[in-house]
Amino acid sequence: MSILVIGLNHDTAPVEIREKVTFPGDSEGHSTRFFSGLDGVEEVMILSTCNRAEVFVVADDAEARKEMIVQGIGQVHGIDPEPLRDFLYIKTEAEAVRHVFRVASSLDSMVIGEPQILGQVKESFRRAAKVNATGPILNRLLHRSFFSAKRVRTETEIGSAAVSVAYVAVELARKILGELVDKAVLLIGAGEMAELAARHLIAQVTRPIVVVNRTFENACSLAGDLRGLALRMEKLEDGLIDADVAITSTGSCEPIITKDRMNRVMRKRRYRPIFIIDIAIPRDVEPQVNDIDGVYLYNIDDLQAVVSENLGERKQEALKGERIVEEEVGKFMNWKSSLSCTPTIIALRDKLETIRTGELTRMNGKLSRLSPAEREIVELISKSIINKVAHDPILFLKKAGGRTRKSFYLDTAQRMFGLDANQLEQHHHTEESPIEEEIDDRYQG
Amino acid sequence: MDLIFFKIAIVLYLGASLGYLLFLLLSSDTRARLGLWFAVAGFVCHSLSILHRAIFSGFFPLATPFDALSFFAWIIVLLFLIMYYRDPSPIFGSIGVPLALVLMLFGSTLSYQINEPIVPVLKSWWLPIHVLLALAGNGIFSIVAIGGLMYILQERLIKTKQIGRMHKLLPSLNTLDTINRHGLLLGFFLLTLGIISGALWAGSVWGFYWSWDPKETWSLITWFAYAAMVHLRIALGWRGKKAAVLAIAGFALVMFTFVGVSALIGGHHAFGPEAFRIRTRGL
Repeated sequence: MSILVIGLNHDTAPVEIREKVTFPGDSEGHSTRFFSGLDGVEEVMILSTCNRAEVFVVADDAEARKEMIVQGIGQVHGIDPEPLRDFLYIKTEAEAVRHVFRVASSLDSMVIGEPQILGQVKESFRRAAKVNATGPILNRLLHRSFFSAKRVRTETEIGSAAVSVAYVAVELARKILGELVDKAVLLIGAGEMAELAARHLIAQVTRPIVVVNRTFENACSLAGDLRGLALRMEKLEDGLIDADVAITSTGSCEPIITKDRMNRVMRKRRYRPIFIIDIAIPRDVEPQVNDIDGVYLYNIDDLQAVVSENLGERKQEALKGERIVEEEVGKFMNWKSSLSCTPTIIALRDKLETIRTGELTRMNGKLSRLSPAEREIVELISKSIINKVAHDPILFLKKAGGRTRKSFYLDTAQRMFGLDANQLEQHHHTEESPIEEEIDDRYQG
Repeated sequence: MDLIFFKIAIVLYLGASLGYLLFLLLSSDTRARLGLWFAVAGFVCHSLSILHRAIFSGFFPLATPFDALSFFAWIIVLLFLIMYYRDPSPIFGSIGVPLALVLMLFGSTLSYQINEPIVPVLKSWWLPIHVLLALAGNGIFSIVAIGGLMYILQERLIKTKQIGRMHKLLPSLNTLDTINRHGLLLGFFLLTLGIISGALWAGSVWGFYWSWDPKETWSLITWFAYAAMVHLRIALGWRGKKAAVLAIAGFALVMFTFVGVSALIGGHHAFGPEAFRIRTRGL
């Protein structure tokens, strides 16, 4: 029984290739069912996002089934798989496990630490489970990947630093003005980036945004879009007096906010702090404005510099994340190697023997009244009881080795007799994800 | 054995300071939480230590320099715990606990022996009222000054676009300015009450309210300085960096009045029975 991951991502394939491999119709589980039906394939899950497309497979022999899966990917998309080959990665066993954990923990993402990927992995898993394509190994693998992702998120600061200009702007606004709820936002001019930054800010505040534009009609229509108020360009100074955050991005060739003008505004504001974000090129705000007490001026380059610094910080944190993943891969591989006949049988015998000797020791006080010969008999009886109890399950497990879905029987036996060392931790984790129970129900059906 | 709680508190504050230091170096929240627990445990022991000293001396334990410093440190930790409750940012603890630790270590080098029976003047209920008000005022002014330092640093980082770890650790400019506004008013209020209660105490034991003792003079100078600050802040709308600079300058004056005057000039606020004996003989 081995784990196999075949796929491509933003690192290995350009967008022209990625857009060809999307597993169409998999929301209904078509592709998943297709792979499930292949020879030797026991469990399947498909993960497809805009940056990656991969198939997770549990098969009897990963090496032997690789080729079949690659062909299958071509078949599902109705294309020749040959040109894809250069872009595909093929990972087996520990390497495959590591890959799944890294993907779920957002260590393999284009923007390291971005939070969406975990949700996408969870959704894909739910989908595969719905069409009965997953089994004990993938269930365990995915749950462990969610657990790793959670650890990486809480034990490192991989997701803490803002990595987009708009988020950096919001965070800076918070560091200057504190809570943003009751703050006033002013948008001067229009432009995609400015509007994006404004939208992020609006999400934090309750007061309507004020929009200023050279053409009043444009201001009105944008204000309508953003559920704000429009203001004429002549009234810009009034707008600046009221605002706490001003985003400017006009097409003007000359700065529209000069130091003199801002000095005037600040006097009227009684030096209440203001955060000005200048996204325009050429600049809308004279750089010297930053020297005025209470004015904090950032232009697009300044914000970009913060973004790249934060990205560097995330990479540092990612190293810690890799260590956590490595630990979890080790634990998973331990569990997986225990999932074969001999270790399971040994674990079952050990467990029964522990129970037997435990009970005898507990009753030692009462047994001491018996003669040595009688005690010998009690010993024999207890031994023969556990042997008889163990006989059928052991026979069953030995036969299971030859069956398909072997891992299912072994896993069930381990759960039934409580042989799984990691079970406790696993149990804690599943309390948060109802998927496990869903799947358990399915097993009973 | 007589300072057992005090010593345990020092060890716990040391643990807390280490936790906070690791937090500052690694920005690890678990270390900060560790620091907080140590600080809370230290505070409990510290409170027990003060209680122990009260039982030992038979009255409010402020008769020796050791006790006064210990009590001041206790008030600082108390204020930082209250601040933490209002705004759970570990940065306050990272400064407050080491500060208290330094005060206590300094205090532990000072005399804590009560050789002679406590002078009757000190066995008045005015003692805890006067000292509590004065020390609480000083404690709040020290927080305002630390907030001012943080404000100047944070504002410099933002203006010069150094958005790194330090920037993220420090509270927002708005929070720091709010600490300044509230702290200034509350501290000024307590300082005023502290001076009035001192005058009433003096009036009740010596018959006159004001004697131009050096401490009294400097307290009055400090009071005028803070009155001016309150005026600048409230009436003239000074805020931000200017207010932060004033807070730091004001605190220098507070520290001189609190520590410097007794050490350099003397007067009836100095510790030890001599100061009081001279005064009573003079009467």
